[in-house]
Amino acid sequence: MVMDLKPKETIGEVRTELALKLEMAKDEGKKVVGFMCSYFPIEMALAAGAIPVGLCGTTGEPIAAAEKVLPADQCPMVKATYGRSVSNTCPIFPLADCIVGETTCDGRKKMYELLAREKPIHVMDLPQKPDERDALIHWIAEMRKLKVFLEGQLGVMISNEDLRKAIKQINKERRLLKEIHACRKHHPVPIMGRDLVGSSTKFGYTVDREEYVSNLTRLLAELKRRIRDKEFACSPARPRILWTGLGNSLGCDKVLKLVEECGGVVVCQEGCGGVTRFDDLADEEAEDPIQALAERYLRVTCSCMTPNTSRFEQIDRLISEYRIQGVIDLTWQFCHTFNIESYRVSELVKGKHGLPFLHVVTDFSKSDVGQLRVRVEGFIEQMTMGRRHVSDRCAQS
Amino acid sequence: MHHLSIFAGIDVGSLAAKAVLVDRGRIVAKSTIATGADPQQAGKKVFEQALLLAACRPEDIAFIVGTGYGRIALPFAHRTVTEITCHGKGAYHLHSETRTVIDIGGQDSKVIRLDESGRVYDFVMNDKCAAGTGRFLEVMARALELELDELGEFFLQSGRPSLINSTCTVFAESEVISLLAQGETKQNITAGLHLAIARRVSNMAARVGIQPEVVFAGGVAKNVGLRKALEDALGIRFAQMDIDPQLMGALGAAIVAKEEYEGRGWSWI
Repeated sequence: MVMDLKPKETIGEVRTELALKLEMAKDEGKKVVGFMCSYFPIEMALAAGAIPVGLCGTTGEPIAAAEKVLPADQCPMVKATYGRSVSNTCPIFPLADCIVGETTCDGRKKMYELLAREKPIHVMDLPQKPDERDALIHWIAEMRKLKVFLEGQLGVMISNEDLRKAIKQINKERRLLKEIHACRKHHPVPIMGRDLVGSSTKFGYTVDREEYVSNLTRLLAELKRRIRDKEFACSPARPRILWTGLGNSLGCDKVLKLVEECGGVVVCQEGCGGVTRFDDLADEEAEDPIQALAERYLRVTCSCMTPNTSRFEQIDRLISEYRIQGVIDLTWQFCHTFNIESYRVSELVKGKHGLPFLHVVTDFSKSDVGQLRVRVEGFIEQMTMGRRHVSDRCAQS
Repeated sequence: MHHLSIFAGIDVGSLAAKAVLVDRGRIVAKSTIATGADPQQAGKKVFEQALLLAACRPEDIAFIVGTGYGRIALPFAHRTVTEITCHGKGAYHLHSETRTVIDIGGQDSKVIRLDESGRVYDFVMNDKCAAGTGRFLEVMARALELELDELGEFFLQSGRPSLINSTCTVFAESEVISLLAQGETKQNITAGLHLAIARRVSNMAARVGIQPEVVFAGGVAKNVGLRKALEDALGIRFAQMDIDPQLMGALGAAIVAKEEYEGRGWSWI
């Protein structure tokens, strides 16, 4: 069966659908754990028999309510996340039994203090120099504290066996996601960036991991079929773009849409929610699964880490693997770490690879779409105006 | 067939609409009008005016390229291209040694880097606010009760420029008002404003690097005072161009039209 890979649903509809499924699952006695970030060891929630649900804010609606409490000059993600808890704009938030956050950035850390008034929340203390030896020791201890918190909140005991089983499950999903994304190395690509973001956001909102696996399996089969049947998503003339930083999921994808409307195609995403968040697996055979999780999650390359060397190694590798012709780095306003780190990304992209680079700083509102369009079109023109050597490089394979 | 060697570039900016007609690489007509509240009408009118000056009809034009923020409001344009590419094209066409273009228009400012063949290889733009742009100067001129074209001269007459910290239109206006209240001269305040813009633009330019020759384009480039302030801040001299700098984008659009028509453009998507 040919799969429709152009999800029509808005993020609001996807969330409402998930809320209905969650209510049914809760009626059957299931518990729901809300999480915020790629640093959350999702395996821990699965091992506790709970349903993990992402609660990070990616839409503009809850922001007005959040600004009654939070300063307006905060990251839109921080405001939208808090707003989901206090504005009645999110059908999922009320269904969470408890929430887990991490001390990734200052905005989130301080916002969680206020969020704690709405739901039981546990904040993991994330070390930010992951290459130091003490960092792992500390992070393992934080993992154990998380286990105790979840056991208490959910009234269960989490065994090593449960954890190993959960690690295997998540690895299975991540292997599929990795293969799905690898299909985009093909030129031309079998799927537009915005369609993949739409499909994967939709599939990711799940209460049933096996259903998730089967959706991913079907998606992968469909992409392979398209490549085999030469049924590509767009013309080979579209410049191949690597996306990095933020702005990578349904709801906050205005710039991603703009890029593909203006004639580019996003073939790879690095950064928050990107490919490097699932091509790294936890050790299934480890004697201590908690340690295996700690090792895995300390390798996440958010810009809150310093000096975050591995992010640059990964961008460097992805530019070659995906035959990238230009890089867009998106920063949410007031996200100091991604904003400052962008300078080093530009050095790598422009300096080492000699590729066009565009840094976009924006928020969830639509007020700057006109100005952004000039930048994005100009960036696409940079790649399309007779840059023969780049298109030759693409044509080689 | 003779007439089909004419190409048109129309640049509908936030404050002014410009049109340039080019025949065999030479400018045969140019016109400028205020954009006002109806960019579509302004684009149409400025084009008609240029046609009139060149004594030709719309069907004599081989290809039309629209640019500027109002580029989408030009239904008769064959193609739209951003002002980033167009300013680069225009400056390179007039002066092939151009490697950097600084463009300050009505509501934005940009620094564009070109390679040896005149292609854009990097650029940087201001954020969505109008800090340090033509609109900024308009508001400041009003606060100082000066005409826009007097600002440059006032700057050159200043003995001791005031320190203005902000290029935000709202904050800078209140700085100007308090300086006036303190009895500071209009010359010194004007100079302070120009230096603030020059600082801002030269910081922006540092992001992409300045490589000579440098061309200063856009409506604000007509201001001799700012020209001088920017040259000093950047430590360079701008290339002398034999054109109204405000027409650079429209000229570039006409050049893009020619290349596009002759098939030397880019493979479109």
